[in-house]
Amino acid sequence: MIRLSNVTWRYGSPTRRAAVGRGTDTATALSNVTFSVPQGGFRWLLGPSGAGKSSLLRLLHLEALPQSGELEILGTHVGVGVKRATLARLRQRVGMVHQDFRLMPTLSISDNVALPLRLERRDEAAVADEVAAILRWVGLSERSDALPAELSGGEQQRAAIARAVIARPGVVLADEPTNALEESQSSRIVGMLREVSTLGATVIVATHNDALVRRFPAPALRLERGRLTSDESNAP
Amino acid sequence: MSEAKGRRRDGLALSRALPDRSLLAMVAAMSLLASLTYAGAVGARAVSSRWAAGAANLVTVQVPDPEKPATDTTAGSATSMGEATAHKDGVSDASSAHAAQLPASQPEKQSGSINAATPDMTRATAIEAVLQASPDTQLVHRLNASEIDRLLAPWLGAAGASALPLPAVIEVHLSRGATLSPNVIASIAKIAPGSLIERNDEWRVRLLDIARSLLACAALAILLVGAIGAAVIAMATRLGLGARRESIEILHGLGAVDGYVASRFARRVAGLSLAGGMAGTLLALPPLAGIARLMAPLSGGGALTFGTGETGFSMAEMVTVLATLWGETPPALLWGLGVVPFAAAFIGWITAQVMVRVWLRRLP
Repeated sequence: MIRLSNVTWRYGSPTRRAAVGRGTDTATALSNVTFSVPQGGFRWLLGPSGAGKSSLLRLLHLEALPQSGELEILGTHVGVGVKRATLARLRQRVGMVHQDFRLMPTLSISDNVALPLRLERRDEAAVADEVAAILRWVGLSERSDALPAELSGGEQQRAAIARAVIARPGVVLADEPTNALEESQSSRIVGMLREVSTLGATVIVATHNDALVRRFPAPALRLERGRLTSDESNAP
Repeated sequence: MSEAKGRRRDGLALSRALPDRSLLAMVAAMSLLASLTYAGAVGARAVSSRWAAGAANLVTVQVPDPEKPATDTTAGSATSMGEATAHKDGVSDASSAHAAQLPASQPEKQSGSINAATPDMTRATAIEAVLQASPDTQLVHRLNASEIDRLLAPWLGAAGASALPLPAVIEVHLSRGATLSPNVIASIAKIAPGSLIERNDEWRVRLLDIARSLLACAALAILLVGAIGAAVIAMATRLGLGARRESIEILHGLGAVDGYVASRFARRVAGLSLAGGMAGTLLALPPLAGIARLMAPLSGGGALTFGTGETGFSMAEMVTVLATLWGETPPALLWGLGVVPFAAAFIGWITAQVMVRVWLRRLP
């Protein structure tokens, strides 16, 4: 599960400053955000551009640490003092789907998808089986040897989803995963993410595609100017 | 796909990200310098030790007016080192010419007072006799006219020194660690006043000081070479990190621990450094072999000659020379040269580890 209690995060925190090189930028990205999502829950994360959706997902993906408040992911409390190895292990249990896919350009689709398992030093024969199965699920079995640049946007995003879920993470985050995709591809992507949540993972999908939200009704978290204005966490 | 290959397919593609040729060449150059410096230090120590040992045991006595009759032949006997003298003036009676011709190891010499010089002797022969009678003397050699001519040739030319009144020069090889006893020195002064005794143990101290200084300089130079090598490797690693920044961030986001990324870079850099180190060490061997050949006579080895035929030196001659050099090369040098590639690899490994881990600290 995911739990946030009065979490505040400003640009310019030690980790953030080092990561983006904006040491003087101290704008507040998130302010006193409190919510929780149970295991297996699916949430839309809504809000206009600049509302803090990406910042929240970065926090949940442990790309930054909150300056104040409490953040708990899959039973682990996350703060500034937490060990790097602990963060790395936790990151292996949080799948992330980016708007720009972030696939390794020099690796084939199957090798891209296999990365999380190889980082866990899984047996290579088991890796091959898992990759084949997950590529079947996302409909990319025929393109397993292709490089990312040889795939369409929708195919690349499906490959990114396959990579995010192949290690069966407890949390899956998606930041505008359908932004550059056509309608049919978008529905297919969201359908997959919904399926992942029914299999037990907590899923949060950031989007500003209202049509998509209407087509796949689910509880939503709404952010405006870094504040949580609507929380339907108690919804089923 | 094999497990090892599978592990390497992580998108870092370090064979392309790291400037392998330039890194290898730089490490090879550093290893070459380190090898030559180390070899120079070992060689200098070996030669200086040998020279110092030789100098410590060699005394040269210059006897003015060598053909004059000995001034005081009664002074021409010696006692063994550390033994109390028999007379108050420190000399004992010397009346037997026969004793002066005895080799230094004759038992009579060890018995204490020896009659070494007779009144009819010249100053030079009387001093020779005294020196030969000393128990610490291993060899006494008076330079003949041609040897003195050769010594003076650089200053006096081929005309020779026969026209000049020259002192007799007597070389005395003492036992290891021994010095001329005060009694012998006093005897020489009485037989031929104005004689000059050159004790080379002062040179020995100076040679050892020079050797120590050379070793210190060599150690400093090797440290400097290692530091420059580490800096070069650090720069190459930074280049690689910059080239693979995006891939590293993706791996980091997927949960790769710092050690994984660092070890990937470190293995690659260590491999390149090992290859560069081996290349540099191998490149150092031919000049070292040449220097070793030149220094062989100076450092106590046999003079190596080859290439005297019209067709240059043959392969067999080369093999013989290499085998001889191998046999005569100090073990410390062989070990040191063998260590250079592994030291380069270690420096590469540790530098890459540190650089990558520090760089990764910018990521949470």
